[in-house]
Amino acid sequence: MTRRLHLNVNILNAGVFGGSWRFPGTDALASYGIDHYTAIARKAEAAKLDAVFLADGPLLDPSIRHRTGNNLEPTTVLARVAAQTERIGLIGTLSSSYNDPVEIARRLGDLDHVSGGRFGWNVVTTAGPVAARNFGRADEPDHALRYRRAASFVERVVAAWDARTELRSPQGRPVIVQAGGSTDGKRLAARVGEVIFSADQDIEKARAFRDELRSGAASFGRNPDGIVVLPGLSTVLGSTEEEARRRRELLDELLPDAYARDRLSGQLGISLDGLSDDEPIPTDLLRDPIEAGGSQTFNRVVREIIDREQPTLGQLLKKLSGGGGHRIVVGTPEQIADDVERWFRSGAADGFNVMPDVLPSGFDDFADHLVPELRRRGLFRTDYESTTLRGHLGIGVPEVRAVDEAELVSAS
Amino acid sequence: MRGEALAVLVELDVGDGPSQVSLADADAIVAAAQDAGVTAIRLVDHVGEHVSVDPTVAAAHLAGRYGDIGWVVDVPTTHNAPYNLARRILSLDRATGGRAGVVLLAGDGDEVSDAAAPDRDATDPADRWVEYAHVLTQLWESFPAAALLGDQENAVVADDAKIRPVDFDGRFYRVAGPLDGPSSVQGRPLLIAVAPADIGWARVAAVADAVVVGYGEIDGAAEKLEEALRAAGRHRGEVALLARLDDTRAIPELQAWSAAHVVDGIVLAVEGAAPEVLSAIGALPHQDSPGRRGTLRAGLVVPNPRGVLA
Repeated sequence: MTRRLHLNVNILNAGVFGGSWRFPGTDALASYGIDHYTAIARKAEAAKLDAVFLADGPLLDPSIRHRTGNNLEPTTVLARVAAQTERIGLIGTLSSSYNDPVEIARRLGDLDHVSGGRFGWNVVTTAGPVAARNFGRADEPDHALRYRRAASFVERVVAAWDARTELRSPQGRPVIVQAGGSTDGKRLAARVGEVIFSADQDIEKARAFRDELRSGAASFGRNPDGIVVLPGLSTVLGSTEEEARRRRELLDELLPDAYARDRLSGQLGISLDGLSDDEPIPTDLLRDPIEAGGSQTFNRVVREIIDREQPTLGQLLKKLSGGGGHRIVVGTPEQIADDVERWFRSGAADGFNVMPDVLPSGFDDFADHLVPELRRRGLFRTDYESTTLRGHLGIGVPEVRAVDEAELVSAS
Repeated sequence: MRGEALAVLVELDVGDGPSQVSLADADAIVAAAQDAGVTAIRLVDHVGEHVSVDPTVAAAHLAGRYGDIGWVVDVPTTHNAPYNLARRILSLDRATGGRAGVVLLAGDGDEVSDAAAPDRDATDPADRWVEYAHVLTQLWESFPAAALLGDQENAVVADDAKIRPVDFDGRFYRVAGPLDGPSSVQGRPLLIAVAPADIGWARVAAVADAVVVGYGEIDGAAEKLEEALRAAGRHRGEVALLARLDDTRAIPELQAWSAAHVVDGIVLAVEGAAPEVLSAIGALPHQDSPGRRGTLRAGLVVPNPRGVLA
């Protein structure tokens, strides 16, 4: 069978850019209403995408003053989307650190059943003290502990799904999606991940990452083709190169400055106070990602940009544009299709977790102009050939690993 | 009874088991119930040892097909950290235009909260219930909808001074808050109690918006509720008293029976499969003012909380 691209749309509230919600013609608060999500999902289904993807964390992001945040619980959103669509996959993010394994096994298994076998669980360990404080803790659990818990947590949940006699899913059980780029995260991905949502700026690094995951999976006795690697890809589309470039510049202008600085400072685990926009970032300020806390993946991505390009603070803020570090492509549908094709054919990606610049307009452009271009090139399906998420992804149901009966580690 | 209309909830146990209704049957029942003017569907968590389809999933799914009926979901404290449950129920409430409520079932803790429990000697399910209920109601009001501005010109999404942490510090739970999303159009979802004699009328009266009493235990329930509310400094009109009716022979006398027992509504719990449930819905007194109804609070005639609807 010809290898085909896999595409998800990440409905990241108003869009991946920090200024998305201010983009002209955008309803600033649309992402606080359910119809925003169901309408984008229906559009994604019409475009025959593999799945919609919802990021999430059990917390209010402290940047709420300046940017819209994720604000609806994913399983309730996806259960509703399932009622209003027929084929598209439904991927939701749920924390392994802050859920009870018995409850989540039941709820996610039932969602998979109710949706006719379309659900995927994006397992995250949830960084940061803000979420921890909603669950009786003063600070986030240590990174290694979070991942140790995640591994046994996922295995336990998968075993519970496998043992079901009622409410079984047409796809066997939900797809396990995982996004960690740290050493611990890669190990978890190789062990249990089926779809890997990654973050890489550089095609060679992305290819090496995919190779590493595939061989890691093989070392756990898994079939490497049972792993689908989807880097995050932020798209800024225009009908001409000039139009796309202007759209990108406008998004920079709309980015609330206070938000961009706060977010970068959080990602690097350092204070940027007193640093002006035209100064380079002093390397002695940078901390080791493992010591800085928070997400190691994004810390690493940002540090690589700093090492490679030595930008001033202002240039770096613009480059990230409040989006955090996923790769941004700017151009016409043909130009972006060239980029997508190059990554796909070179083995750097099996497809992409698409993060449109502005929602819904950026995704409308993606579905209406980029998807047809990818089809013309024979890279993307013209219709669904399956009714389940596993079917769309072309992956089977892996063997269940023996569950370690030792107690689940839980930070107190 | 406080108004003319009698609120009716139809109880469903959705699942694959022989005594449960399938998802397809549930769909047909909700369609009939919505047409008949039923106030809400109640989705149970389990019957005996047999669990149902997760009620929050089933409600969110069915609500995606039927937009003009309320949703009451049973959820135990057991296995559910309060922050997670608060989010899920508020998400459902917002997605349904303020038509959701939760029947909070007294039980044990959850794996996440237990590991950080403030007082490990606190174990009484009734004490846990009332603490949990207060965490929910406080979280639901922590991000008032009025805080959302969407001011594109001045780059202000929300007035964060209006969004307040709850900093709940109890014996069972410690929860900082605030919640991630704004309050709903009905202020907050309904907090509903069952088995008030087990939880204790005083605890129920402190926090509930509605209380469900078994058919056989209805005698004297209105008086006990009224007395407990008075002691809690609340009015009888703030809480709906619902009788759970599992004998459909009582339906023809429903209005008179409800008036005699001073109940505000019934929960129709029909033993049997889909045809029996549909037939019971068909026998209900038809609501004479069809058309789009309002929130679940409006349907149960309980007031919106003052806190978040300034």
